[in-house]
Amino acid sequence: MARDRQDIDYVSPLRRIGVGLLIVLCVGVFLLWRIDSPRVERVRSELLDAVVPRFEWMSVPVRRMGEMVADFQSYQRLHAQNRDLRRELQQMKAWREAAVQLEQQNAKLLALNNVRLDPKLTSVSGVVIADSGSPFRQSILINVGARDGVIDGWATMDGLGLVGRISGVGDNTARVLLLTDTTSRIPVTILPSGQRAMLTGDNTAAPLLGFLDDVALIQPGDRVVSSGDGGLFPPGLLVGQVAQGADQRLRVRLSADYERLEFLRVLRSHAAEVIDGEGDLLIPPQLPPAPTLPDPDEAEDQSADASGDG
Amino acid sequence: MIDPITARTWSYRALFFALVLVLAIARLIPTGGAAGGLPGPDLILALTCAWVLRRPAYVPAWLVVAVFLPLDLMLHQAPGLGALAVLLVTEFLRRRQALSRALPFSLEWALVAVVLLVAVAGMQLVLGLFFLPRPPLGLDVIRAIFTAAVYPLAVLFTVYVCKLRKASPGEVDALGARL
Repeated sequence: MARDRQDIDYVSPLRRIGVGLLIVLCVGVFLLWRIDSPRVERVRSELLDAVVPRFEWMSVPVRRMGEMVADFQSYQRLHAQNRDLRRELQQMKAWREAAVQLEQQNAKLLALNNVRLDPKLTSVSGVVIADSGSPFRQSILINVGARDGVIDGWATMDGLGLVGRISGVGDNTARVLLLTDTTSRIPVTILPSGQRAMLTGDNTAAPLLGFLDDVALIQPGDRVVSSGDGGLFPPGLLVGQVAQGADQRLRVRLSADYERLEFLRVLRSHAAEVIDGEGDLLIPPQLPPAPTLPDPDEAEDQSADASGDG
Repeated sequence: MIDPITARTWSYRALFFALVLVLAIARLIPTGGAAGGLPGPDLILALTCAWVLRRPAYVPAWLVVAVFLPLDLMLHQAPGLGALAVLLVTEFLRRRQALSRALPFSLEWALVAVVLLVAVAGMQLVLGLFFLPRPPLGLDVIRAIFTAAVYPLAVLFTVYVCKLRKASPGEVDALGARL
């Protein structure tokens, strides 16, 4: 530049050094994260922990606004919606009849069995306070954290189905990695056939089913529940239903209402028991030696057995 | 008393910081958009480019890093990488700021679009080299295109709301040097 040659320029070399240092800083942070990821992730969750709860008050009006816009949009398809609703209502009546019958049956069976649900599975409830903010990351932030005893890896549900698992805990907040995230892998069981599969998020609303044994045994509509393999989740949590995507691959339509995640339950899992012995021989318990001699009948039997064998 | 030019510079820097903060919070607020669908534009990046090409002094390199490094952490991206990309983009645009003053707006727009696409390619390359999970290439490119598409809006906002124009030929800075 002409101006630089005219008068002695002290600023631009210094600037260049400054920019160089900033570049080194960014690269350094990136490499540090690549090398020592857990520590940097902890810094990340502490930063979110410090910043996000302060802006919670802003989220309420914005959320309301979004709901109003959505409501307004729904007016446009009022007629079609009305017709659909009427048909749905008809179906619902049939379902209600079925549900009432099932309820009576269930009550009888419960009374008969005196079943209690697993008392170990207690839960902490939290409110969703922030999104991941990036279109390529599917995770949310909830307002319970280490203070409430939340631990990494616990399962998170909404009222109905599995939503994701805890991945990153701050003091007052915790990040929930949703099942739709590309890094989410959950072992599941597909119910009527009992097949095991892996539920793989791929950044779409319906995650993929992978590692299936026999695709022929699976039909769209089958229920998918968590299998508890690997001790990650308690088994039997509802995940969703099998559906076939437009690309002919098997996917899972999630039961949890991902459009409206507001309150979540974090299930307190307990470490699965690990079998670490080799397994001993099954030996009948050793009785103390009998004080009296065996009676002659038994001795005869034994000799007869021996001769029979020979 | 602070001289008016310094006060103006710092108040614009504070304004930039506040705008980025508001946009970042808007992105963090859970609005219920589910997975799938098209990614929205990166408003923060578009705003930053518009400001750098208008008044580079109001968006110094240290401010860029100070803003985008925490953003990387908060938006759950690879920390440092996003900040590095934005820093390189802004430095590139800053070098061409004098040039872009002579360009019509359409060429400036094209310049920004190309730079954003190159930044996306670079980030994808680095993520691939480090065996990190990459966002799908197609969606990432679409996002950059959307960002470029809202760039004129960011410029309108910068010019008519923030009152930032490109320096006119005779304008001088705080020390009397020509801009």
